[in-house]
Amino acid sequence: MTAILKTRGLRREFLTKKPLFGAPTVVRAVDGVDLEIETGETFAIVGESGCGKSTLARLLVRLIDPTEGEVWYDGTDIAHVPAVKMRALRRDLQFVFQDPFSSLNPRMTVGALIEEPLHTHGWVDRSARKARVAELLTRVGLTPAHADRFPHEFSGGQRQRIGIARALATGPKVLIGDEPVSALDVSIQAQVINILEDLKDEFGLTLVIIAHDLAVIRHMADRVAVMYLGEIVEVASCEDLFAKPRHPYTEALLAAIPIASVGARKAETRLSGDLPNPIDPPSGCRFHTRCPYAEASCANERPALTDVGGREVACHRVHEVQLKGLAEDAPARSPAAQARFQMYRAASAEKQKPNP
Amino acid sequence: MNATPPLLSVQDLSIRMGGTKTNLVDGLSFDVGIGETVCIVGESGCGKSLTALALMGLLRTPPLHLNGGTALFDGEDLFRLPETQRRQIRGGRMAMIFQEPMSSLNPALRIGEQIAESVRRHQGASREAARTRALEMLERVRIPAAEKRLDEFPHQLSGGMRQRAMIAMAMANDPSVLIADEPTTALDVTIQAQILDLMRALQSETGAALILITHDLGVVAEMADKVVVMYAGRVVEAGPAASVFHDPQHPYTIGLMSSMPSLGARSEKLVTIPGVVPSPLAMPEGCRFQSRCPFAEPGCAMRPVFTEIAPDHGVACLRAPLEGTLDPGLRETGT
Ligand SMILES: Nc1ncnc2c1ncn2[C@@H]1O[C@H](COP(=O)(O)OP(=O)(O)OP(=O)(O)O)[C@@H](O)[C@H]1O
Ligand SMILES: Nc1ncnc2c1ncn2[C@@H]1O[C@H](COP(=O)(O)OP(=O)(O)O)[C@@H](O)[C@H]1O
Ligand code: SF4
Ligand code: SF4
Ligand SMILES: [Mg+2]
Ligand SMILES: [Mg+2]
Repeated sequence: MTAILKTRGLRREFLTKKPLFGAPTVVRAVDGVDLEIETGETFAIVGESGCGKSTLARLLVRLIDPTEGEVWYDGTDIAHVPAVKMRALRRDLQFVFQDPFSSLNPRMTVGALIEEPLHTHGWVDRSARKARVAELLTRVGLTPAHADRFPHEFSGGQRQRIGIARALATGPKVLIGDEPVSALDVSIQAQVINILEDLKDEFGLTLVIIAHDLAVIRHMADRVAVMYLGEIVEVASCEDLFAKPRHPYTEALLAAIPIASVGARKAETRLSGDLPNPIDPPSGCRFHTRCPYAEASCANERPALTDVGGREVACHRVHEVQLKGLAEDAPARSPAAQARFQMYRAASAEKQKPNP
Repeated sequence: MNATPPLLSVQDLSIRMGGTKTNLVDGLSFDVGIGETVCIVGESGCGKSLTALALMGLLRTPPLHLNGGTALFDGEDLFRLPETQRRQIRGGRMAMIFQEPMSSLNPALRIGEQIAESVRRHQGASREAARTRALEMLERVRIPAAEKRLDEFPHQLSGGMRQRAMIAMAMANDPSVLIADEPTTALDVTIQAQILDLMRALQSETGAALILITHDLGVVAEMADKVVVMYAGRVVEAGPAASVFHDPQHPYTIGLMSSMPSLGARSEKLVTIPGVVPSPLAMPEGCRFQSRCPFAEPGCAMRPVFTEIAPDHGVACLRAPLEGTLDPGLRETGT
């Protein structure tokens, strides 16, 4: 496996304005991240709100500049290439937002929105552009006729499809989605997840997905990075991470998931309190104020992300604590209900066959 | 199942937009008993919030209006009470918590003042007694340094703490019915688990009935005694939680459960519910799920009757039980 994206000591600070007097405070939104994302994989980033996921995602494709550190793509440190070169690289590195239309011009037609990146990347032939737009719309389960309509005429799920079509227009190698399905209802979410996975296979994409829904990550990801207050605390294969977490924070996240099956284990609150204020993060291990396994020394020394056999973990006690993962229970259902689920699967596949 | 009469009994609740011919909420019925949790589940736009607002007497945005139905609470029909009485019930014997705490917290008032104000209004308590009650409530919802938080403004609290403060306010007058509309949807799973825990604990202390509105089947499985599944304004399936999860019947319920990515071993492609919810102006005649249902047949153009299929477990589908058409042997094991 070769890494398609690689970061070294990546750091991004934000200054928050102080009212009236005093120096502005500094938030270290991303604080020393070393990651390797492999070609063709689906890589997920998970963590509580405010832990720096979106900032990291934006750094990966240089939608924002880092305060420090490197981001390597295809032999280039994109964090430091001149703007002109970056514009060309942008063709390879595309971004899908939670709601693409909150950041796009509502007065442009869908066709024009998808054409825009084609323009930028030198598609001069107008009819070729139109044909490409029609093809992309079809690919994401819409119709070419949708090109003449405006964003507000579409539902959330359709808008997300359009956002994906736009991101795919230039034939990227890496697609980064910042909560691409979080705003959608489950039935629509499932449609969009399927589209993303189909497109990934078809175009050989590398996917980086940010999501706070762990079930979505379990379904989509090959590997997962868990973030806490600007740092990566664990990186592992999806399978291993869910079955046997090695960082106490990962364990706590898994324990809190409510499971949609009566009689399954109840969600557990292993964490008391909220995420600490990132302006003034705890000393030593940043998780020590909430960690059920913390000992005195955890407050003094910052644990480094270390290889512990097939995965990386940042915890002083990684070799001492035994952590619990998620058991793989299938939901308890009556035989008749199981038959109904099979019937549903078959019938809906049948119904969706001719035109989706 | 219910030996005692229900605390709140909703029958045939309908809500309509003036000038249109379709009910946004159409003939909704359910009961909730003392200490019981009923979860109303369905995707966005199916009428969950409208239902909650109607029950609280907060449906105040004409041309939206109540278009029939009763809600019996303590022997009285809420929908027929004058506004003065409803105001007395609201925040007193019936309370509501919202997805966005800022929609019920006043940003200009200190947390303690807000809770105390509600206690004074409903219980006629003195200033000191009300403040003591406010403090007690903040402690009960486990807000750290409660004494200090009393004098803080809502914006000074984190999202999770604001949610707790709102719960404290809702519970301050010992309501016998608490309606919670997506109370944890905006929160991280870790904080969600804390809030659900808290609601369970308060409920077992006070015996309040809880109507919990959510689109998350995980939260439903976690909390519900009874489940009401809504689609496009109608109840499509309802029953005891164990029965609905163990033996779901309606194609929409099954589709919803199938579309959820599993937490277990990675599955193949997700099963989906094709299409989207029809707009209220283009609602199909008969079964409203018709346009998306993989089992739809011509007969579905007639409205399916809500029929009991197992004890207290009902479904509104012409073809239920689905497997009946497949293999008669399976039918018996199913119920
Ligand atoms: N432009 C900005 N100016 C100041 N602070 C910022 C800015 N962007 C992000 N931050 C801060 O950086 C931290 C990380 O934010 P980020 O948006 O990356 O979190 P996130 O993990 O994506 O959260 P969420 O799950 O809520 O989307 C937060 O403390 C946030 O307040
Ligand atoms: N104030 C309003 N005016 C007009 N239509 C409304 C209003 N509030 C809700 N609706 C419509 O009523 C239906 C049900 O909405 P709602 O109860 O908010 O759904 P849910 O809470 O299940 O997501 C939707 O079609 C919605 O668009
Ligand atoms: S280093 Fe200490 S505080 Fe941090 S996760 Fe490990 S045990 Fe917990
Ligand atoms: S009545 Fe018909 S359309 Fe409605 S859910 Fe049943 S089979 Fe599907
Ligand atoms: Mg974010
Ligand atoms: Mg709602």
